[in-house]
Amino acid sequence: MNPLKIVDKFILKVEEFILSYAIIIIALMVVGKALSRALFTYTPPFADEVSQIAIVVATFMGISYAARKGRHISMSAFYDLAPFKVRKILAIFIPLVTAIVLFVLTYFSALYVYDVYESGRVTSALQMPSYYLYIFIPIGFLLGGIQFLRNMWINIKHRDEVYLGTDAKDYNDQEKEEIHEGTHL
Amino acid sequence: ACGGNGDGGDNASGGEGQTYNWKFVTEEVDGQVQYEYAEEFAKRMNEKSDGAVNIEVYEFGGLGSETDQVEQLQSGTVEMAVMSPGFTGNMVKEGQIFALHFLFPDSVEKTQQILNDSEALNTDLREKYEEHSISPLSFWTEGAMQWTSSKEITEPADFENFKMRTQTSPLILESYKAYGAEPTPMSWSELYTALDRGTVEGQENPIFFIGDASFHEVQDYMTLSNHNNYVAMTTVNTDWYEGLNDEMKTMVDETTQEMQEWVFEEQKKQNEEYLQTIKEDTENPTEIVELTDEQRQMFKGKAMPVRDYYRNEVSTVDGQILDKLQEEIEAAGE
Amino acid sequence: MVATLLTIMVVLLLLNFPMMIPLMAAPLIVLFIYFPNLDPMILMQQFSTGIEPYVLLAVPLFIFAADIMTTGKTSNRLLDFIGSFIGHIRGGYAVTTAAACTLFGAISGSTQATVVAIGKPMRERLLKIGYKDPTAMALIINSSDVALLVPPSIGMIIYGLVSGTSVGDLFIAGIIPGIIVFLSFSIYSIIYAKVADIPLANKVSWSERWRLTRKALLPLGFPIIIIGGIYTGLFSPTEAAGMSVLYAFVLEVLIYRSIHIKELPKIARSTGLVTSAVFVLVAGGQAFTWVISFARIPQMITETVLGTEPSAIFVLLMVTVFFFIGCMFVDPIVVILVLTPIFYPAAMDAGIDPIHLGVVITFQAALGSATPPFGVDIFTASAVFNKPYLEVIKGTPPYIIMMVVISFLLIFFEELSLLLI
Ligand code: NA
Ligand code: NA
Repeated sequence: MNPLKIVDKFILKVEEFILSYAIIIIALMVVGKALSRALFTYTPPFADEVSQIAIVVATFMGISYAARKGRHISMSAFYDLAPFKVRKILAIFIPLVTAIVLFVLTYFSALYVYDVYESGRVTSALQMPSYYLYIFIPIGFLLGGIQFLRNMWINIKHRDEVYLGTDAKDYNDQEKEEIHEGTHL
Repeated sequence: ACGGNGDGGDNASGGEGQTYNWKFVTEEVDGQVQYEYAEEFAKRMNEKSDGAVNIEVYEFGGLGSETDQVEQLQSGTVEMAVMSPGFTGNMVKEGQIFALHFLFPDSVEKTQQILNDSEALNTDLREKYEEHSISPLSFWTEGAMQWTSSKEITEPADFENFKMRTQTSPLILESYKAYGAEPTPMSWSELYTALDRGTVEGQENPIFFIGDASFHEVQDYMTLSNHNNYVAMTTVNTDWYEGLNDEMKTMVDETTQEMQEWVFEEQKKQNEEYLQTIKEDTENPTEIVELTDEQRQMFKGKAMPVRDYYRNEVSTVDGQILDKLQEEIEAAGE
Repeated sequence: MVATLLTIMVVLLLLNFPMMIPLMAAPLIVLFIYFPNLDPMILMQQFSTGIEPYVLLAVPLFIFAADIMTTGKTSNRLLDFIGSFIGHIRGGYAVTTAAACTLFGAISGSTQATVVAIGKPMRERLLKIGYKDPTAMALIINSSDVALLVPPSIGMIIYGLVSGTSVGDLFIAGIIPGIIVFLSFSIYSIIYAKVADIPLANKVSWSERWRLTRKALLPLGFPIIIIGGIYTGLFSPTEAAGMSVLYAFVLEVLIYRSIHIKELPKIARSTGLVTSAVFVLVAGGQAFTWVISFARIPQMITETVLGTEPSAIFVLLMVTVFFFIGCMFVDPIVVILVLTPIFYPAAMDAGIDPIHLGVVITFQAALGSATPPFGVDIFTASAVFNKPYLEVIKGTPPYIIMMVVISFLLIFFEELSLLLI
């Protein structure tokens, strides 16, 4: 396998792992907190904070995964009506601009993380440096930007198909068959 | 459609006839103490400067969380802010001093006097904030904090296994554990319903806030504990403030000083009015519990060891500011 | 500034950009153009602030519970049970969906959580018996609105704080409007089912119903745990979402053994994917809100519109229009926080009852969460059901029309809000 593919596969695995366990951790924290309070009148003070960290992590680390699967929400009304050629052009242009925007956001959010780092602020329950939480925002934007570039590239490389993401073809070109129905795979 | 609002509050050189547009953000909404304070402040500055100073007051909501607003002041996005030390306690640790129970006198008036005069706060603590580009120009109380509860609380034993909604900071958790309570962190938006259903049994706030948020509707008792004060600070961005010309700086300082008396009366009025509202709400009766001196001493006794926790675990200067403040409070004579 | 903001957003939207781009880029561009002295970093903090509210955690949790239930057996057993009682009635499934959304929304307080928890299983059944997807999704999205209207309502708690109005009274005032919405949707559903000739199931015998009821006994623990747990104060609505995950886990993994524990991360991953797609938009919406609040855009517009000494009806109409438009773009809770203080003084001067005003405002907030282009329920449905945006909103016009008509009723007849108080 070529090394880029190995890197890609590795990043995919990491993203999948983070997404899965972020959700599982939220469930554990919320359930644990409720049960502990109801049964032992003890509320673990870190529970809310851990859930909130997990939701920030899931949200931003999910950007590139959702881009790969073509699952970002968009208003496709006019796009769906457009002929193949126009869709093909848009499928190259949109990921490119999206990637640029995400890189700009990466830059500013990295500056923000640095600012929080310098302030020495800690979180209120865990007393953990606050920037640990925010660092996932630039990482998420960066990986998202890279993935959108890949979405652009696959549309350039494969001339006769439109891709919504590297792992998802345009539903407009798939005759009536139910495409990747449901959220579970 | 509407441009021209983009000067970002700076006052580029212009000499005579220059105008100033500043932004003043608060942690409360229209009608509440902080917001009314900022409006009055803006009005006075405008009058004194013959219309040259225009201060836009922002209420809580549109600009994000309290912590966000702190960062906005630090970065100079807004020039002025009312902030409570509680929301900066994770950065300026010494500011958590106001969370200590039974530190200030029972009398809110005496407390305000100490806040005005204290060197520990107005010099030493201010320096700590200025390391983070925040200059607190004054400290003032929004009223004493009270307990509301679903069962009567008159002595520490009543707190045994009691689910008390608190903020998450370790010092506050420690303060309630000292009474034997079970501090229960819970988000503000869930609190009304949680009190109603008994998910948590009590909470703490100044009276005006309790009344405004309708918490008395879902609680049976309110203990006038005055266990600490909800302290707010009038703050400015340090670099911006240092860069003001002498005339403006003096005007800001003077107005800040004048406002101390004004805001004391304002919080007093609001707290008294809401106390009346709560008493008169016969549909949702709330018993008002007053503590005897003896009961107050019992709570204070339990709360004392928490000061050591503050000295050892919170303070970055081994409690120097607390020690100095304690001396000042004693000198003021309770 | 407003023109720049709207142009950027609309153009990017129509071009089929991922919606997070207009929501995140437009505020950034406005900052560059109109506030060049400001540090754009300030928008970055808003991204995390937007998704940090604790109550939002109910959304991924209900998605997770629903994913576990639909992968396993729980959801089918529950639906078979319900179907055996209402399957032979005209519009039965649709009315049941509306009722379930109303009840669940009332209790959970979250429109998004309702879309997920009730919508996910009910939609599949509606499709199976012959409803078109846009119709089914529109019914689910709009019925879920009621969450904001019926107690406990976060919208009302926020309005109560901002205006100093009794939250208890507001809760009671929301009941009649909530019932009116449910009845309108039900009548519409029955008429629709007749006109569209949705096939009816055969009437099920009582012995068959008994058999299905027994099969559904354990799954029926769900509503009992959620409703009972919240009402007795055992847990908060957000925690109830967590408990439903636990319950789904116990049923599917431990009792029915229809899911192996090793499959859970995979299910959680798909939950995470949907959560991310929705929450990046919530994050972007917060940055958008920050810019318009900072630039004082709501104040600028409303001051010109209201003029001096407006009549009560005029104020209420303007409240309706502004909250409706505001909620199309921004999270309803934020709209309540930002716009209420602007309208409240004028409303009081015009002699409007603060409770009546609260109901009118909360109603618009509810409606707004299901209104294109940025209604948060629409994102949620699009992500959870994995359906293109247009298909999600295609069926909504009849519901929006009904809601608008009810809005007018609420404006002109304050008794609808004040009767029970
Ligand atoms: Na009461
Ligand atoms: Na509700």
